[in-house]
Amino acid sequence: MENKHLVKDIVHALDIDGGSTERRPVHTVGVGATGFFKPSPMAQRFCVAEHFLPKAAKKGVRVDIRFSNGMGVVEEHDGWSDVRGMAVRFYLENGQSTDLVSMTLPVFFAPTPETFLDFALNARPKPCQRATPWQKIKSYLQLQLPLPDPYPGQTERPNEGAIAFASKHVWAQPAVIDASSIGAPVSYVRATYHAVHTFIVTGKDGQRRWVRFSWAPIAGVLNTDPKKPPEDRYLKKDLEKRLSHGRTERFSLMMQIGEAGDDFNDSTRQWPPHRTRVMMGTLTLNKVREDQQEYFEKLSFNPWHLTDGIDPSDDPVLRIRKDVYAFSSNRRQGTPCPFSGTKG
Amino acid sequence: MSDDSGWLNSYINSLPERGWFQFLSKYVVVPFWVWREGRPKLPGGPRPSPQPSDNTQRMMNLLMPLKDTSPIGRAKAVMALAQNVDEIFAGLDNVGTVHSARFLLVEDYICMISVYDGDFSNYIRDFISTIGSVFDALMHEVEGGDKLYPSEENVEAFIDWVREHDLFQAPDYPFDLFGLQDEQAGRKPNDPPHDLQTLPRSLILQLHANRNISLGGGYRGYPGYSAAQIRRNLGVGW
Amino acid sequence: MAVFDAEKVQGNILRGYPLDRVRHMILEVSDRRRAREFLAAAADGTGEEVPRITRSANWSERPEFCFNIGITFEGLRTLGLPSDQLKTFPTEYTEGMTRRALKLGDFGESAPEHWPAPFDRPDRIHIVASAYANADHHLDDIEKKVAKVFTVLGTRDGRNLPDGKVFFGYRDGISQPRLRHVFDPEHAGDHQIKDPLGTVLLGYQTQLEGIKFTIPTPEDVFRDSAFNAFRVLQQDTEAFETYLTDAAHFLESHRDVARLLPEGAEQNIGGGMSRHDALREVVAAQMCGRWRNGTPYEASPNSDVQDGISLTNYDYSLSSRCPAGSHMRRANPRGGPIVQRVANYTRRMVRRGMSYGPDPETGEHGLLGNFIGANYGAQFEAVMCDWINFGLQDPGITGTNDPLLGANVPETSRFDLTLKGGGHIRLSGFPRFVKTRGGAYTLLPSLPAIRYLSQLTA
Repeated sequence: MENKHLVKDIVHALDIDGGSTERRPVHTVGVGATGFFKPSPMAQRFCVAEHFLPKAAKKGVRVDIRFSNGMGVVEEHDGWSDVRGMAVRFYLENGQSTDLVSMTLPVFFAPTPETFLDFALNARPKPCQRATPWQKIKSYLQLQLPLPDPYPGQTERPNEGAIAFASKHVWAQPAVIDASSIGAPVSYVRATYHAVHTFIVTGKDGQRRWVRFSWAPIAGVLNTDPKKPPEDRYLKKDLEKRLSHGRTERFSLMMQIGEAGDDFNDSTRQWPPHRTRVMMGTLTLNKVREDQQEYFEKLSFNPWHLTDGIDPSDDPVLRIRKDVYAFSSNRRQGTPCPFSGTKG
Repeated sequence: MSDDSGWLNSYINSLPERGWFQFLSKYVVVPFWVWREGRPKLPGGPRPSPQPSDNTQRMMNLLMPLKDTSPIGRAKAVMALAQNVDEIFAGLDNVGTVHSARFLLVEDYICMISVYDGDFSNYIRDFISTIGSVFDALMHEVEGGDKLYPSEENVEAFIDWVREHDLFQAPDYPFDLFGLQDEQAGRKPNDPPHDLQTLPRSLILQLHANRNISLGGGYRGYPGYSAAQIRRNLGVGW
Repeated sequence: MAVFDAEKVQGNILRGYPLDRVRHMILEVSDRRRAREFLAAAADGTGEEVPRITRSANWSERPEFCFNIGITFEGLRTLGLPSDQLKTFPTEYTEGMTRRALKLGDFGESAPEHWPAPFDRPDRIHIVASAYANADHHLDDIEKKVAKVFTVLGTRDGRNLPDGKVFFGYRDGISQPRLRHVFDPEHAGDHQIKDPLGTVLLGYQTQLEGIKFTIPTPEDVFRDSAFNAFRVLQQDTEAFETYLTDAAHFLESHRDVARLLPEGAEQNIGGGMSRHDALREVVAAQMCGRWRNGTPYEASPNSDVQDGISLTNYDYSLSSRCPAGSHMRRANPRGGPIVQRVANYTRRMVRRGMSYGPDPETGEHGLLGNFIGANYGAQFEAVMCDWINFGLQDPGITGTNDPLLGANVPETSRFDLTLKGGGHIRLSGFPRFVKTRGGAYTLLPSLPAIRYLSQLTA
């Protein structure tokens, strides 16, 4: 492990009231599903990892998917504005597997582990401060938008701290802007998820490319109406309903190819939207498993859990996430992830 | 803390939608901020970039004010283009970097909307050298166009004029507006960082300086490829 | 059409000097009045203490030294050119080289923020004066005279390396535009089409049919001036040679290598060398477009023997062995196939350079280049941003940069070696070999313009 203290500090900085050390420190509430992935015919040109090869296209690669709400609290607040997660495990041959961990934010909050710790400490939820009418009028007169009113029952939120911190640290601004207006999806399968970090894929011709992955929902992207009162529990039900009676939902795996001058090791900056996009394959969800607790809540994903043909970039945040995920997995006694140091 | 503090809060939340408040904002609040910290106009067209996919399929949104906005003046502009179809295709086929181009008459403007590869000034210069006569015919119908005649002998001024009338392309990610405004004002971008909550004001003031803009650099179905690459791969020759 | 008078044109524009050393002096005008007096005396050689500007006219005898000046936009302003006249200069020049950085590929380590003094303060750079001689004492003498009037912000010394080579080991300066109206015995055997004077001088027809570039006001004064991109280009020869070795190792075991270089051909390269060394030279030759001794790769893909091969007379085609991505083809695609068909031969410019360094402390070495033309946008910048970098001229190379001069990073760089009978082997992973370490956009004013500036009164 690279830096035990830093890893521990980061996990502790993420622990908040309403969370539990027996659950995940963030993305605590979620729902798991199963399905399969079929690579596109072009995928192997860009990446020779097993799940992108033509033989994987025949039967499809079996996958487990866990969707989640970003907040680190055990209570469900599906309708609150929040970042959502989508972790995918691809089951390869010979008992091997690989993960792709993504979220609805296209960027990360900080460029390094140290700055992320700083951010996490500053963005810890604090008691909501509802702006008074006069403060709101002042905002309007300054051509600014007042912070939204808290949700019914919401007593703490990270917004104020995160915005104040980002106003002093440029690197946090893209993520905080996006996070503060992210809203709630009507369904987990109606949001786009980004793997955020840069990975290096090796193509059939041996050429290495610096790339970023996104899952684009084939059903389209749709948020709830922010003017209506939020519902607390609907996302799991929605997914169960969508996947009942043999019905399926799909995502396209899109891959952006980085170019000279793009920051390969800084996930706070989104690449311009005109980068070449490659259609790498289609993910089909077909079932919500009954044994959620045993299966998905124990399962430990890790963004560093890769396979031949996909390498991590030198992004220091990606590197520390390897250890942070492993630490958190051990703490909640999850099914060991490949880096948790225990035998499973 | 109560979850909603009643009618006053609801009323305040609805202020931006209320007529009187919109009136106040338009005639008092915005002019005050323009006076206090107005933003300089940002230049038109795509920004220079060393990155390949930023240099293919670039967008031009050229708004040329019509000299005569009557139906007769508009008809003249239509004729200026209609009589030059051969010229336009000869240019298109031999400049080789254009994906598409079209002309629109919208309100008091004749608009040229095109998608091209590579550097903006090369694109315009190559076109002037092949179909300068079309530009000349068109510029006769456009305000301020006479002093650019003939385009062959006013290449630099013509290119500057086009850039001036090409729409500013707002950044693809909102946060980047801060940096662009800093640079335009001759400051180091985001140093010191801007208060995040002033982003709406920055946008409003920029829209005061650049009334018409392109919302970002556009969306592409197959980004990163030049017209010649597409023609080559489709087997229709470049 | 104006009548061309070589007496009005500075001597470093139309022809190179047969002198082996140069000192570029980067100057600030600290005393406007004295600066003007200097210009007046330099234009007409009327002062003992002021070197005379060398003209383009044919010399009856070879001079011991030459002296020329380029003036930046800030320089014109400081000399007192009125703002309504300043407005008539082209945008590229007005903004200056540092604000054109992205178009020139000057980013990352090459960004102007990283340029050393005096190029870190472009606002202070008013004049770049250049002295040429064979002996250092002439250069010292000229610098002394110049320093009496101007603040010398810095100097850059250059010299011709033996055999006309540059540090990368290539023979350089072989191909230059040949201009109508100019007698240039050095390039008389070059059969490329001649360029009109408007390629380099303001006030004449250009290669683009019908197009004349705008002469700043007053026109009769600035006619016969030219624009120059002065560049300090560091050459990373160590990285280059290392990469050639890596590439040769990779190629030795490549299944198509015999189509790159037939077995036995190594006997005809560099006077005979090992297979490995010959493959290094093939990579160097395809990257440049010439073998290091100057033999065009297009004319001779399996041998660098020059026997009877013209160094200048050849052209490219769709089946050329000289890669479309090579430095030579990018800088001057000649009559070969390019996407922008209207642009064949239109972006040529005059290139003059001498090598500098190695610096005794840092080892830094490279090229001091002058890239001269009538219009930055149509020539220097057009070539840099669409052809050298980006490669828009050929769909097979679009999205890649010049392997030698381009703004490459190992993560994305690639270069396709051509093979006999078609196809290619792709090289990748090479870094940027040439870094920008300074420069300025300068006007090379005509003699009438120098006199005009010397008489300003504001």
